[in-house]
Amino acid sequence: MGFFTYAFNWLSSSQQWHGAGGIPARVLQHLGYTGLSLLVAALIAVPLGIVIGHTGRGRFALVSLANIWRAIPTLGLLIMMAVLLGFSALTWLIPLVVLAIPPILVNSCEGVAGVDPDLKDAALGMGMTQWQLLRKVELPLATPLIVLGLRTAAIFVVATATIAAEIALGGLGRYIIDGLAADNYGEVAGGALIVVVLALAVQLFFAGVRRLIVPTGLRSQGKGPR
Amino acid sequence: MVWSWIPQNWTIIWQYTLDNAFLGLVPPLIGLIVAIPLGVASVRWRWTYPPLLSLASAIYALPSLALFVVLIDYTGLGNLTVMIPLALFSLCILLPSVVDGLRGVAEPTRQAATAMGFGDVRRLFEVELPISTPVVVAGLRVAVVSSISLASVGQLIGVSSLGYFFIDGFQRDFPTEVYVALVLVLALALVCDLILVAVGRLLTPWQRDQRGRRPATAWLGGAPWRV
Amino acid sequence: MITFEDVTKRYPGGTVAVDALDLDIPDGKIVVLVGPSGCGKTTTLRMINRLVEPTSGRILLDGSDIADTDPARLRRGIGYVIQQTGLFPHRTIEDNIATVPLLSGWSKRAARARAHELMDLVGLDTAAMARRYPHQLSGGQQQRVGVARALAADPPVLLMDEPFSAVDPIVRASLQDELIRLQDDLHKTVVLVTHDVEEAIKVGDLVAVFRPGGHLVQVDTPERLLAEPADEYVRGFVGFDRGIRRLSFFPADRIVLTTGTVLPAATLAGAAVAAARRAGASWLLVVDADRRPLGWAASAALESAPPEMPLSAAEFVPVGHTFRPDTDSLRAALDATVLSRTEQAVAVDERGGVLGTASYERLLTAIRAAEDAADQAAAAGRARAQAAAADSGRAADRNQAADRNRAADRNRAGDGNRAADRNRAADGSEAADGAVGAQAAAGGDRSGGGTA
Repeated sequence: MGFFTYAFNWLSSSQQWHGAGGIPARVLQHLGYTGLSLLVAALIAVPLGIVIGHTGRGRFALVSLANIWRAIPTLGLLIMMAVLLGFSALTWLIPLVVLAIPPILVNSCEGVAGVDPDLKDAALGMGMTQWQLLRKVELPLATPLIVLGLRTAAIFVVATATIAAEIALGGLGRYIIDGLAADNYGEVAGGALIVVVLALAVQLFFAGVRRLIVPTGLRSQGKGPR
Repeated sequence: MVWSWIPQNWTIIWQYTLDNAFLGLVPPLIGLIVAIPLGVASVRWRWTYPPLLSLASAIYALPSLALFVVLIDYTGLGNLTVMIPLALFSLCILLPSVVDGLRGVAEPTRQAATAMGFGDVRRLFEVELPISTPVVVAGLRVAVVSSISLASVGQLIGVSSLGYFFIDGFQRDFPTEVYVALVLVLALALVCDLILVAVGRLLTPWQRDQRGRRPATAWLGGAPWRV
Repeated sequence: MITFEDVTKRYPGGTVAVDALDLDIPDGKIVVLVGPSGCGKTTTLRMINRLVEPTSGRILLDGSDIADTDPARLRRGIGYVIQQTGLFPHRTIEDNIATVPLLSGWSKRAARARAHELMDLVGLDTAAMARRYPHQLSGGQQQRVGVARALAADPPVLLMDEPFSAVDPIVRASLQDELIRLQDDLHKTVVLVTHDVEEAIKVGDLVAVFRPGGHLVQVDTPERLLAEPADEYVRGFVGFDRGIRRLSFFPADRIVLTTGTVLPAATLAGAAVAAARRAGASWLLVVDADRRPLGWAASAALESAPPEMPLSAAEFVPVGHTFRPDTDSLRAALDATVLSRTEQAVAVDERGGVLGTASYERLLTAIRAAEDAADQAAAAGRARAQAAAADSGRAADRNQAADRNRAADRNRAGDGNRAADRNRAADGSEAADGAVGAQAAAGGDRSGGGTA
């Protein structure tokens, strides 16, 4: 049988859809982990990125730091947290936030810093204060990249939350991990399929956010892996 | 932290490091080999690029574990099951790199090459691709570093890498393994990145004497931050 | 010889870039295509090496249709220089220059040796620059590399698309001079596109003026273009003061000089006054033992001076600008006259020794003579061409001006070495080409004035 056959068989059995271990519950858990981590990360990283981008200080260090981030093995990080902290909310929150911060931070910074210097010149020449420059010129122009940063972070958070099932977390990864352990390929396949759908749905969500937030004239910029 | 564990188990540590390195280096190369013709096609037929890019973005967004799992039914539980998704991810990173690199070749340069009698293929290999090298190498660095760290996830389906120590350390409640493996993964990524930087510099002798400092992306995984 | 036969280029949207072009580009000449943006000159150029394909019509290179040749092979035989140079950033200077030879199968050693040869030819220091990369060179140096690269495989044809427009005027002037000098050595068939009519006049043996819409309006030598612009458009395009600019093309050696008023410094005032009265001159030119000019002495002032006073003691008005009849043009002579405080120009030889002086009248006489000679020669050339055209029974084509000029082109094509013609005035502006037009039309007569 193929992957899809396994998956559909498992999905079509109604017991998957009810109860604490049911699909809706797990989806909500997964979204919960993702949403909370992104929120915390955004609260930290967006303002920080904007400040660094506007003032220009620390930009080089930031880019280097962010590149080091890519090398961190997510599984290892999760397990390390579990080893250090046992089973608590912070066990997953910290790694997910830590993984989410760099893309948001770098993109927010580059979004603000990348604004055409001529525009900044014109704005200041018109008599804007630094604060007005930030609010009226730099921020609007930075929105495509800020949203891109959030979207990129979402990719990694959703993926890592899936793996987090290994350290006894809930969420959709549960199906994969438990299924592998129990040799129940149907469960594994079904879980994987839902995760894929969820990941794509999250991406679509951010595409929608982009449409909402990004000013019309800038729509063609920062649309993902360019 | 039990330091003595390291020399005692050096053989398997080294073995898994090599496994991880293999999984981290081969998929990006495959991705590159596929990305080049795709990138050339995207530049040549511009309308193909947006859909290709959207597809790449979508694939890149998928959790690696899910992709590994999808492939189990087709490629079993061997290296290939991990290598194919990693190669796909690398392709998603490298396609924009190749396209940006090719597009970055100055139009007068391309025209001069045509005017001097370069056929299309020769121009591609002797002029456009060499000039694109810095951008492609930057993308390759990201792909390699990402692959090295993602490879450890493959351990969850039994494909060996340094991830073995994560799982084993977790199950046996032996943190030393976890820390050592973490450091090793980071170190491996750093070493591979530096090697790629060196290779990049070797391949681009014309960029050596440029005034001003090399762009800030000279650290680990130097591509402009896109994904 | 490159021939355009009724060539049209029409783009899908309806734009006509080149409209029914008939043009002959003779071997060994520099032909400049000039006109404003949108006149089709660049498109025309790029049709020669098939970077653009004509919608209709044929282009012949030495008699064969270029459409029948494989484009890549065709291009290896044609040098191409563009404004932004298009140098390969990833190759050294010598490898850039060696590109076409290498493409054509030369050995690396032979190609590099050739590259060094060419670097010498275009005035680049081989030792210092061969191994450098383009970004390390200045704009002017890069443009020289571009020219060297185009010449590497010794192509008979050289195409240049606004090659000097991107550099500053001083560098541009020196690059233009360099091109003229190179051409004297190499005798390539050069087609150069520019929007600058001054550059066209300075550099071109023939100038083809285009109008927006891809119409060729006039093809003529620079002198003829200045003398007889075909219509209001060309007149406007060529610009004002063309009468004066035209003078660059007439040599100054035909001016009849006055020598009677040139006196050595040792001459006594009395003798000087006598000489002045004989000649009816209000100024005397005082020279030293080497016959170099010291200054002008006013004869009126000398009359009140003691007769035994040597001229060297007199008050001098500075001589200012001089001209050389053997190398300068009438324009330079006119300039020297205008700049002179005494309304006379001083003619000197190559050592700086005075040959004589020229007044406005003498200058104007020479100017008139030169202009008349040029006009007569052109008219004679037209008459011969029309007779030839009538004989061979060719049908007249649409543009009468183009017809007249094409016939004149054929005559000029027979002209040989223009090395002797190229005078570069010391003032550095336009080439003081003596009488390319007159000479050519007269079928080989050397004089710049006389016979038609």
